[in-house]
Amino acid sequence: MNQEQAATTGPGTASPAPSVRQLTFQWAAGPAIPVLSVVIALLLGAIFVQLSGKDAIAAYSALVQGAFGTPYDITETLVSAIPLVLTGLAVAVAFRTGLFNIGAQGQLLVGALAAGWAGAQFATWPGIILMPVVILFGIAGGAFYGGIVGFLKAVRGVNEVITTIMLNYTIVFVMHWLLQAGPMTAQNALGTPASTPIGAGARLPVIIPNELVLFSRLHAGIILAAVAVVLFWFLLWRTPLGYQLRAVGLGPRAAAQAGIDPARHMVLVMAIAGGFAGLGGMIEVSGVFGRVYDGFSSSYGFDAIAVALLGKNSPLGIVFAALLFGAFVHGGAYMQSHAGISSNLVAIIQAFVLFVIAAETLVRALTRRRRGARKPVEAIA
Amino acid sequence: MKRLLAFSVIAATIVAACTSTTTTSTPSGSAATGQHPKIGLVTDVGGLNDKSFNSLADQGRQQAQSQLDVTTSVTESKQQADYVPNLTKYAQDKYDLVIGVGFLMQNAVWKVAKQFPSVKFAIIDGAPNDDAGAVQNLPNVANLFFKEQEAGYVVGVIAAFMAKNKVGAATHNTVCSMGGIPIPPVDRYIAGYQDAVKTISPTTKIINGYSNDFVDQQKGLEVGKSHIAQGCDILFQVAGGSGLGYIQAAKAAGVYAIGVDADQASVAPGTVITSALKKVDQAVFQTVRAVRLGTFKAGDNFFNAANGGVGFGAVDKIVPADAKAAATTALADIASGKITPKDTVQVKP
Repeated sequence: MNQEQAATTGPGTASPAPSVRQLTFQWAAGPAIPVLSVVIALLLGAIFVQLSGKDAIAAYSALVQGAFGTPYDITETLVSAIPLVLTGLAVAVAFRTGLFNIGAQGQLLVGALAAGWAGAQFATWPGIILMPVVILFGIAGGAFYGGIVGFLKAVRGVNEVITTIMLNYTIVFVMHWLLQAGPMTAQNALGTPASTPIGAGARLPVIIPNELVLFSRLHAGIILAAVAVVLFWFLLWRTPLGYQLRAVGLGPRAAAQAGIDPARHMVLVMAIAGGFAGLGGMIEVSGVFGRVYDGFSSSYGFDAIAVALLGKNSPLGIVFAALLFGAFVHGGAYMQSHAGISSNLVAIIQAFVLFVIAAETLVRALTRRRRGARKPVEAIA
Repeated sequence: MKRLLAFSVIAATIVAACTSTTTTSTPSGSAATGQHPKIGLVTDVGGLNDKSFNSLADQGRQQAQSQLDVTTSVTESKQQADYVPNLTKYAQDKYDLVIGVGFLMQNAVWKVAKQFPSVKFAIIDGAPNDDAGAVQNLPNVANLFFKEQEAGYVVGVIAAFMAKNKVGAATHNTVCSMGGIPIPPVDRYIAGYQDAVKTISPTTKIINGYSNDFVDQQKGLEVGKSHIAQGCDILFQVAGGSGLGYIQAAKAAGVYAIGVDADQASVAPGTVITSALKKVDQAVFQTVRAVRLGTFKAGDNFFNAANGGVGFGAVDKIVPADAKAAATTALADIASGKITPKDTVQVKP
């Protein structure tokens, strides 16, 4: 992220070669704002813990201990972070093209349903064939659902924020129907609304042997997530398509003048975003549950917005932000059981992180206006 | 000034959110078997403030904490993927009993309990389920079930008296019920309810329906309107959140409703005449006590009228004294075995 940031956020004015000090400063400025916002959020959270008559230090040490205290906890933190990486990418790739994808949640669910359907339908196939099929179904499901949004925006100019929110609801209800008394409902789920289990060949294997970390659930989905992060970086910064997408994001009219068709790229980028989220859904089904549970994901798609913002839409930034939020999820439970502090504190800290980031953007926008002069816009090469 | 006010409101809300958890854990010292056991409770995604299963289970935990020589702790699950790690964490920390709330955790309890054979587990309203969805009883897991038909029968007695004697707005001699999904625990409530009405007031018309949902209030409201149009004056909901819509339909039409699981009198005072209770708190308390006394029993455990596991809630003042007395008598008769309510639904939609 850092070198990349330094290269892309460098002054666009035609200045002579920047000094080493300048470059170092820019390098440090990349992660400085996100790190600072997390620190401020943690401090604000601490104030509220103290106000409620509890011990903030005990709370945070339990949070850290819960997230990283034992090898098992570290693997669980990773398990929690995996879907957030994928949905984070789904939000970020759209951001980079100037679209606000609130629909990662819905895209993840469609991917999960498609993967769960294929995994159960072709359960008897050998893993070497079934696994790629299930991965493709997951990606295709999410891509289809995201593509709808891009299509409506391109053809009718419908605001993507509205359509993604509406489609999030749509899939929740379709899921109720499919899993409670519909075509995908398991016959023997004993009242738990769920789909028929997927075949053994569709299960992502646990990659940490029991001898190393007892009962670890860390599955091969982490490899898929890593591949997705590299793909995200490669696509945006190493392909002509990525260049065009970022150009559309920085200025659709300028991009159109330069011969880039924004409409086509809107459909494409939303399908790519949906593909990332859909892969996230597939990973949860294949790696964690082995079937689709009704309403299994409550917030991956929404936390993803915070992950993308905190990660500044950069590949490494998203990985770190997802790890942080994964640690919050897993450590929060331990904080509740051992320090007696509601794991809702974690949600409060996450909200503060967003506030601080939003405030930073606001302050920058205000100061820019006050100065009267526009700062040079990001260069895109 | 305005900003200060807004800030203090937000601050107060957040402080309230932080303190709403009443955990009183003191994770000190390791528990010898039977002596000062450590008890961990894991909620399902409903969370501690669901005013139903999870909050009742937590009340039972707190009661055990204050009355028995045990250390307890609670963990809320935020999403389905949290069940396994939350249960595992307690087992790894060598807790003596780990309780999972609700049938959504059946598979998670099976997975974790299998890996920790020396730790005792309990699951409310369910049994361990393997990955294929089949029940797999384990020697270290207690399945805490309820005789819902007994609670259904007792509130059915009150409904039958109201309908038969045309009390208040109940003028059509028709009683109704609505389940969420026709699954066994839901249908047992309805079966007992219908059994009581048929026994006490054979001329009363009985209507039953399902909203096919446990969450959506709108669906419950629609079924309620349709039932009221067919003459229903007393509406018994067995549909969780969706059932709240059924109660709203009764309230809007000025007829009566009966709550379920927890005491729902406060949902619509004057409309909710009583509630069929599933005393999850008692199930938790008694299971903790069994561990403390060394009488823990794996496999199916039933909570019923005889051991105080089911009953009925606050009775509204519109209900005549004789109806209330009859319900109390019925509960005692069920406890003594004089009455055995049916557990299969007679009147289907």
